[in-house]
Amino acid sequence: MKNPSIDVLSPAGYRRRATILGVIALLVGAACLYMGFDPTMLFTEFHYVTDLFSSMSPPNLNVIWHDETIGMAVLETLSMAFLGTLIGGGFAMFLAFLAAENTMPSRIVRMLVQLILSIGRVIPPLFLILVFISAVGLGPFAGALSLILSTMGTFGQLFTEIIENVDPAPADAIYSVGATRAQVIRYVILPQVLPSFTANFFYAFDINIRVAISLGIFGGGGIGFQLFQAMRVLHYHDAMALILLTVVLIVGSEKLSDLLRSRLLNRGSLK
Amino acid sequence: MNEISFNPPRLGLFRRYGRVSLVLLGILALAQGAAWVCGARFDLLFHGIADSMHFMVHLLTPELNAFSDMWQPALTSVFIAVVGTVVGTAISLLFALLAASNIAPRWLRNTTRFLLGLERALPEIVILLFLVAAFGLGPFAGVLSLAIGCIGMLGKLIADAIEELDPVSIDAIQAIGASRVQVILFGVIQPIIPSIISFALFRFEYSIRLSVYLGAVGAGGIGLELYRSFTMLDYGRAATALIVTLILVFVSEWVSGFLRKKIKGGRFQ
Repeated sequence: MKNPSIDVLSPAGYRRRATILGVIALLVGAACLYMGFDPTMLFTEFHYVTDLFSSMSPPNLNVIWHDETIGMAVLETLSMAFLGTLIGGGFAMFLAFLAAENTMPSRIVRMLVQLILSIGRVIPPLFLILVFISAVGLGPFAGALSLILSTMGTFGQLFTEIIENVDPAPADAIYSVGATRAQVIRYVILPQVLPSFTANFFYAFDINIRVAISLGIFGGGGIGFQLFQAMRVLHYHDAMALILLTVVLIVGSEKLSDLLRSRLLNRGSLK
Repeated sequence: MNEISFNPPRLGLFRRYGRVSLVLLGILALAQGAAWVCGARFDLLFHGIADSMHFMVHLLTPELNAFSDMWQPALTSVFIAVVGTVVGTAISLLFALLAASNIAPRWLRNTTRFLLGLERALPEIVILLFLVAAFGLGPFAGVLSLAIGCIGMLGKLIADAIEELDPVSIDAIQAIGASRVQVILFGVIQPIIPSIISFALFRFEYSIRLSVYLGAVGAGGIGLELYRSFTMLDYGRAATALIVTLILVFVSEWVSGFLRKKIKGGRFQ
């Protein structure tokens, strides 16, 4: 903040703040009563957390090395995220060209495509995975399919904005010497947007790893499913090892994605 | 006048597109491997789509009289998100003070930042699985996991806002003899209250989406309703639950956006 004004509040200002705080407190209090949520339980019942923690440690790290299903589960999670990113991102890229004002002249097509994209964006992934499990059965394939749709929705919107924000001058220049729309897209727009598209693909992979782990719990397979199983049958030492593995997986993919993205955007290559 | 000539570089097709196509081939090979691992099969997909037509029809015809059963779980979801976010914001504020370089010593700041980063890496659903194992099913575990899930993101954002504070105003408060607590209350927290509220509202949108997920694992609410209708093959009811979920998401986004715009307009300052 540039200029924090330590202002002398007028009585009206104090009254307004007090009202806002009061409304929030009342809402939270009512919500607590309604749900039977007792905040003091956090302190009186905290020993359950420490009990569980002590029954989980030390983590049984052997399970990672000796159990082949875990290795396969990690591969499944990675594959789900990869397919979701590649295919969903590919669809997003294609649809973005149909949804952007400077590449698609027809208004009706633009609105239709934008409708498809926003449906993919707002439908919760939980719903998608349940539909795909009903259609193709339990397993990573259902997870990959729902990741494809959600990636398409989220990144289609973003890609459309990127395309619409390209510098219009070069496009006008080669239009004026008689280029077709396809040539303008290939030689003006694509080179401008490709670096940031690729950077966003890495970002999408990073997000999809997390979603893939969460979807696994609902039957999408992969490491999330293994963790859910371990918790359910009370193999807490294995579960702790799997939680650690999850954290390593997420932090690793985040760091890798950051590294690749910053290198890509600084060099500005891949034109 | 000089003659203007334009000679496009004549490259062979391979020299021009060779590297790109090699990269693309590599990606395709990876995708093939990933598809094999996932057991992705086109025939399965087409069969699945053909077979699922009979329930897709039900998904498009929501059961209208199930709406009256839905408002209670929807309210639970909203309350879980509200309480989780408020409690989480309060805890994040404490962590943010420990993670700001102009308040905490260097070693404490770095340790806290490391812990916050670790928390960000942990998906909320994993936290919930842990808490459900500790406290049993129910909204208590849901609220707590949302609150803990806030800490990584909000703690970092608020700590960054504290570090960006103008040191002059803190010095000024110290100069007139304020105690350490007073400096923190009036010099640090008060100026960033608008930022804290707008971060919390932003997180609230996310919490609503998360509470749908968490509900299905055992926190209760609209997510549980959605999950249960699906497992009981009651697709009309599932469609109703989906509509209620979408309404929740849209309304929370609208409310949060509206309030954040109002804060930016300076109403809180």
